[in-house]
Amino acid sequence: MAQTPAADPRFAEIESHRPYLVRYALAQLRDAELAQETVQEALLAALEALPGFDGRSSLRTWLTAILRFKVIDAQRRIATDRRRLESTDGDEDGADEAWQDELFDETGHWRVAPRTWSDPESAFEQARFWEVFEKCLGRLPPAGGRVFFKREVLGEETRAICGAEGITESNCWVMLHRARLALRACLESNWFGEEAPRGG
Amino acid sequence: MADSDKVDCRKASWLLSVASERELTAQERQALREHLDRCLKCRNYEGQLKFLREASRRFGK
Ligand SMILES: [Zn+2]
Repeated sequence: MAQTPAADPRFAEIESHRPYLVRYALAQLRDAELAQETVQEALLAALEALPGFDGRSSLRTWLTAILRFKVIDAQRRIATDRRRLESTDGDEDGADEAWQDELFDETGHWRVAPRTWSDPESAFEQARFWEVFEKCLGRLPPAGGRVFFKREVLGEETRAICGAEGITESNCWVMLHRARLALRACLESNWFGEEAPRGG
Repeated sequence: MADSDKVDCRKASWLLSVASERELTAQERQALREHLDRCLKCRNYEGQLKFLREASRRFGK
């Protein structure tokens, strides 16, 4: 590692506190690997700061203080990752993408309003409906169509689908959202449009 | 009419879709409910999503 620390007799002493520091980090983080990494970061920071350490507090106290800041950093990173995984900015992705400008105007209203579909259940009984449905599925973009098919037709869990596709979960949600919008538009113009009953 | 924190149709359609992937927050649920109460278009969309789900399920059988 660095050149100077080995020359400092306190170098070996710092190392001797490692097991204590790992226990301290583990108690806070509850993740062995992360605790090791965090202690490593703290010890490197300590080695750099060592020339300024005046020895007024004990070495262990000083090291623990450095570690405490590194633990807080790590906790913050965990919280950010979790938030990213679990949603909220999935929200921003899903509602703010440019492709939606085709479907919604600048005030956020539907450009073409979804209509009330009359007696949709009766469609299930008609062979012609399933032809239209299949055709509309086929018009979805390849990746979006695949994700939609796995999710809605095969009933797989989103988490598994995203894993297989190698994309994040919130990305998956956006693809599904987009596919649903496209599919309903296709059905409305190719099936429910034909049949469109009295005005609405 | 400072409705900036309320949902518009664009946002409502997203929430309706993502609700089948994750649980909405209490705030999202309420904002969505308020929007649906006064927007027939989005209520139609909500019904269409249910239809799509059912049609897809049957398509897979
Ligand atoms: Zn609306």
